[in-house]
Amino acid sequence: MSQTVTDVHADTHEDRRSAGLSRRARQGLRRTGLGFAALAIVAYSAFPIYWMVISSLRDPNKLFQVPTLAPGPFSLESYEVLLTLTDYPTQFRNSILVASAVVVITIVCSTMIAYALTRLRIPFKTLIVMTMLYVYMLPPLLLAIPLYGIFVWLGISDSLLALAIAHCTLTLPLGVWLLWGYFKAMPFDLEEAAMVDGCSRLGAFLRVVLPLSLPGVVTVAVFSFLLSWTDYAYALVLVSSDAQKTLPVGLASMIGAFDMRWGEAMAGATLIALPLFVMFTFLSRYFIQGLSAGAVKG
Amino acid sequence: MRSQFDWLIYLFFALGLLVTGAFIVVPAVHALWLSLHQANSFIAAPRWVGFENYARILADPAFWHAMGNGLIYAGTSIVLQVVLGIAFALVLNEHFPGRRLARGFVVLPYLLPTVVVALTFQWMMDGSVGILTVLAREVGLGTIPWFEDPVAAMASTIAMSVWLWTPFVTVCVLAGLQSIPQSLYDAAKVDGAGAWNRFRHVTLPQLAPVLTVVVLLRGIWMFNKFDIIWLMTKGGPLGATEHLPILAYKRAFSLFDVGGGAAVASISFLLLSVLVLIYFRLFPLEDRR
Repeated sequence: MSQTVTDVHADTHEDRRSAGLSRRARQGLRRTGLGFAALAIVAYSAFPIYWMVISSLRDPNKLFQVPTLAPGPFSLESYEVLLTLTDYPTQFRNSILVASAVVVITIVCSTMIAYALTRLRIPFKTLIVMTMLYVYMLPPLLLAIPLYGIFVWLGISDSLLALAIAHCTLTLPLGVWLLWGYFKAMPFDLEEAAMVDGCSRLGAFLRVVLPLSLPGVVTVAVFSFLLSWTDYAYALVLVSSDAQKTLPVGLASMIGAFDMRWGEAMAGATLIALPLFVMFTFLSRYFIQGLSAGAVKG
Repeated sequence: MRSQFDWLIYLFFALGLLVTGAFIVVPAVHALWLSLHQANSFIAAPRWVGFENYARILADPAFWHAMGNGLIYAGTSIVLQVVLGIAFALVLNEHFPGRRLARGFVVLPYLLPTVVVALTFQWMMDGSVGILTVLAREVGLGTIPWFEDPVAAMASTIAMSVWLWTPFVTVCVLAGLQSIPQSLYDAAKVDGAGAWNRFRHVTLPQLAPVLTVVVLLRGIWMFNKFDIIWLMTKGGPLGATEHLPILAYKRAFSLFDVGGGAAVASISFLLLSVLVLIYFRLFPLEDRR
């Protein structure tokens, strides 16, 4: 057996040699072409991000001269001004508060809903899942206009609470949809065994189902954070007072200001993007998984 | 098997459904209800006018103009995203040093908040010292009026949208490419198929299901994109980039025509539903995963 394998190997090797230099040259050419293509793709994707970061780190006085592609002269002035003289820290706090609330609510409710939909006797299961998926596809602005009316009626308009609830309308359907797939694919035998051994249903859920579907839960957490952290449309419609603004709206209000301070704007943009990049570096598996499942509406 | 804690599951189930129902289904219905009323603000008492809002909106040339803009914006940017996304995925599917890193970089634009993208591009396209403006001038294109000229504004907005949302296509197509069995390519090679024919007769047909999902989802989302256009152009110049979501927002919040805004939103909601129904029809719930 091993004899034939080496034979075949020797054969192909011979083949390649006999095809001569032109083939090797073509391979080399293909390699180089591939390398250049990959470089071009990376440059295209990363250049705006590179420009954002180096502009934020450049001496603000040098920003309004003809730009150089290389970074420098280095200065942290834009960051200092942004963090000490603007509302940015408050907005950062608001964004963190809303995003954390959204993540917690989404995880608790969507695991329970998805579990109930796959394991309990509940009428109209398919209809509920369909509705979830359907509303997940609705564009935020469509719901934002009537939501605003409802929050006015409830007396909680222009508050972080209203914004968190609004964000949950994006993240809950997503969470239910992703976890429904997870729980459905998980065999019932495991939890049944646990329940036969004396676990309650909740015990079986917490000790067997949740740990096994941890990747799904992490994906939901990551994307709930992402959706809430980056949301602009809801925050624009629902929040108007300065004290309640989140980062995206706060940053957007810089656009079109009379004297646009680009250094600070780029520093602010970099700081919003930073947590996302850090998360992506450590949790890229979950990001990719969620992306191909359509977890970012956009 | 029942225990005292099981009611917790039912409680959270009910709670979650309540939140979803109260804040998604109710607003959707409320939007339809508002579209049948006339109201000058969200606090004013709405007056029933039947289908008057719809008649008024449909007779307004601005509506059809916005509809056309939306189709141009969505159509062009989807085609470009899909073409670029497939090309990127084909390159990233090959073996080369640093492939993992390259794949990571390609996803980055998609993670950025729209506001960040809008600000960064406005900075890069600044009329005097924006890097893209300067580069364009240096290669002899002159000073490009990125957002001042109607056609240029639409093109710039589309280009930004393509940059931002192509990674979705790349990631999906890459996943699709990895699931194509190598044996198909080997068989095609034996039959003497060159690179182009292998792509045309093996890769593309194998990718068809993924591409259908991608095009449908992108269609659903691009047709209703609001934030990027609002941040870049506010629908201008001269309404050149005003599409249905912008029209709805302007009517409801700056023209004090809540009923009219709701009518525009409801119309795009109905159009969107057609796409979603096609999606459900092609990919029934039972077959997933």
